[in-house]
Amino acid sequence: MSPLATEQLEGARERVRVFAQYDHAFEEKCDVVVVGSGPSGSVAAYELAAAGHDVILLEEGPPFTTRDFALDGNLSMTRTMREGGLRMTRGTTMPTMQAVALGGGSLVNSAICVRPPDSVFERWSSRYDLDRTDRANLDPHYDAIAEFLGIEPTPDAVQGKRNLLFREGCDALGIDSEPIARNVRNCRGSGECFTGCRNRAKQSMDVSYVPAVLAAGARVLTSVQVQEIRRSGRRVTGVSGQVVAPFSHGRASGRSHAFRIEAKAVVLAAGCTATPVLLQHSDDLANASGQVGRNLQFHPGVAVAGVFPEAIDSLFGATQGYQSLSFLDEGFKLETLWAPSPLLAIRFPGIGADLQARFAELPQIAIFDAIASANRSLGRVRKRFRSLEPVLEWRLHPDDVQILRRSLHVIAQIFFAAGARKILPGVGGIADVIHSVEDAAILDSSAVKPSGLVMGGNHVFCTTRMHGDPTRGVVDEDGRAHDLENLYIADTGIFPQCPSVNPMFTGMALARRQAQVLSERL
Amino acid sequence: MLTSLLLVVLVAGLAVFVHRRGFAGYAPAPAGLAVLHRGEAAFVQAVAEVLFPAGGAMALSGADAQLAQSVDRHLAALPEAKRFQIRLLFHFVEHVTLFLPEHEPGGRQRFSSLSAAARVSLLERLANHPRSVVRLLFTALRSVFVLAYLGHPENLHALDLAPFEIDPVVSDAEVLFPRVGALPGSIPHGPADRTEPVRTPLDPSGPRHPAYARAGRQERGEA
Ligand SMILES: Cc1cc2nc3c(=O)[nH]c(=O)nc-3n(C[C@H](O)[C@H](O)[C@H](O)COP(=O)(O)OP(=O)(O)OC[C@H]3O[C@@H](n4cnc5c(N)ncnc54)[C@H](O)[C@@H]3O)c2cc1C
Ligand code: SF4
Repeated sequence: MSPLATEQLEGARERVRVFAQYDHAFEEKCDVVVVGSGPSGSVAAYELAAAGHDVILLEEGPPFTTRDFALDGNLSMTRTMREGGLRMTRGTTMPTMQAVALGGGSLVNSAICVRPPDSVFERWSSRYDLDRTDRANLDPHYDAIAEFLGIEPTPDAVQGKRNLLFREGCDALGIDSEPIARNVRNCRGSGECFTGCRNRAKQSMDVSYVPAVLAAGARVLTSVQVQEIRRSGRRVTGVSGQVVAPFSHGRASGRSHAFRIEAKAVVLAAGCTATPVLLQHSDDLANASGQVGRNLQFHPGVAVAGVFPEAIDSLFGATQGYQSLSFLDEGFKLETLWAPSPLLAIRFPGIGADLQARFAELPQIAIFDAIASANRSLGRVRKRFRSLEPVLEWRLHPDDVQILRRSLHVIAQIFFAAGARKILPGVGGIADVIHSVEDAAILDSSAVKPSGLVMGGNHVFCTTRMHGDPTRGVVDEDGRAHDLENLYIADTGIFPQCPSVNPMFTGMALARRQAQVLSERL
Repeated sequence: MLTSLLLVVLVAGLAVFVHRRGFAGYAPAPAGLAVLHRGEAAFVQAVAEVLFPAGGAMALSGADAQLAQSVDRHLAALPEAKRFQIRLLFHFVEHVTLFLPEHEPGGRQRFSSLSAAARVSLLERLANHPRSVVRLLFTALRSVFVLAYLGHPENLHALDLAPFEIDPVVSDAEVLFPRVGALPGSIPHGPADRTEPVRTPLDPSGPRHPAYARAGRQERGEA
């Protein structure tokens, strides 16, 4: 997507509304209201608006300009993330982050765009009674989005040493690896995707699809929180809610004017943890199957720090530039990783001078991570009393622990093959520091207890899953709620299972497909 | 009657003890804190001193890094529930030694009144506790401090990990949207102000963000 023409931009400006502009309650009408401007909602809104429908895109978070980005990772999280970035699962305790901003997760994510392998879709189709959800059907959607967002493998010039060391380690071990394809144009290698791309190289939705949505004639209302989906019989009639102040984190004093939008169809794209709560608060809408909020899956991730003999300019390089898909059959994907260094360092072990000595090694450190297809580890999303914040219950299944142990061991081998002097495995209950590949074998053993694993889970799926059988899923293959004629869900909650790879691209591809179906039906 | 009287005296004595040892006699908090009160500020300082001692491998010690101010800023920006949980954690650690004292003379005092050695010993006990929930609480506590300490501009500058200096690009988004909280009339850019994205990779040893570079100059005593 190239920049908008001047006249498009002038018109587009008129159709955005931001917090400071709301001064009274309001009502609007449109063909389709899309709730949530993350990757899925923005793509759906664009397809519908470009097809000539009157679309309103609603987003609870504010738009961020480059001057709003906080370079301090800690402060940035309090502004861009739900619960200030401190959201946790219950059961097995694990941090999980969901953004609240125009562009949703795309504003803060690493822009990784990967298509799942055929085997994922074969499993989805056979187990969930789907017959059109395969690569052949979805590839045209992936292709169109890739073209629009400039999705390309990360060039070597911006990999930086910490990403290239992963390649070196993999090469030495004969493991296939590849530069990560990302929705990025002209990356400069600042490694700060997490706090917002000041170079506007990352094609997050607020700089790509949302301007295009506006240019196609849609209205975009930010700082509005949808609180209820309105229904009449088997049809939904629109949504209602309140204006919310930026960074007010659900505080009652942050809520103000009421609004109501009437629409011929509603597309819910509030994200996998928010959409089920909205349905539950709307008189348990679309839940004849009893599956709303159930089947919660994460892509739990573990990370290891490798300390190299010399400084490796760790600040420089694409945030996540290299990956290996060689272990997908074993249930995990390997990647390089970077984030603001204080966030990386919270996992370093020790107290006092020991801890400070580890901090001082940061310039010599690279981080590699693994994300595991934890298909047996399930949970659910429940609503809270008078709040749209979800309760996330989730338990890591013992069989999935084995995947994580194995992945930690492989990462350790890659580090030592790349020349690391030592690694910090970040696992409780075993040595804080491992100095040799032989000693690293402990990582693939029962010495690594589930309670010792330090995980993060930012990829979330399945809470409104797609299933051909209306008694076993919430939406059909077109994303339409089984129970209702005109309610669609377009976020990663509709995945029937973990996609094995990073979810954003698949969420967008499915959203594009279903927006085209909905467009035909309007 | 006598038993009741004894009970009242006992409870009153305990209350006086807890008040004296637990809540009285804190030094005034640094000026300008939005959230932390004096006891919490003293606790933050007491943890910072032992978690990041002077003479370690870092540019700044915890005592010099003014963590009360940065922790306060972080807490102020958090949702109320999270802020409450973190403060509760502070109070738990600050007062746990009144009931489970450190094994040394003067070990039955609040955390911030303990000797440095006793503070380290308590933190180590929490870090290595057999119950995973206690270890988790310790990790949560330590995280708050690591974020504030390592995020200090002087520490990042000294490690050469301060963010790069980047001239922000003016994209469609900067023309469409005002800054958070502002009216559209305040948008400083028109369509003609849009800038081409810079295509060259950053120089790994290139200039760093001025705010962090300034911290480095202050550290070296330069203007
Ligand atoms: C730090 C981080 C890094 C990641 N990196 C990658 C990566 O590199 N590649 C990848 O594939 N995935 C990545 N992910 C995951 C990815 O960002 C998400 O899977 C993706 O954003 C999901 O898109 P979505 O549209 O389904 O939901 P979201 O992006 O969550 O968007 C939902 C939107 O709806 C809004 N909303 C919610 N409730 C309401 C309401 N009641 N009213 C109005 N609006 C509402 C939210 O504010 C949000 O903006 C990452 C996630 C994080 C947190
Ligand atoms: S690495 Fe830096 S320049 Fe590249 S996309 Fe991320 S934030 Fe932008």
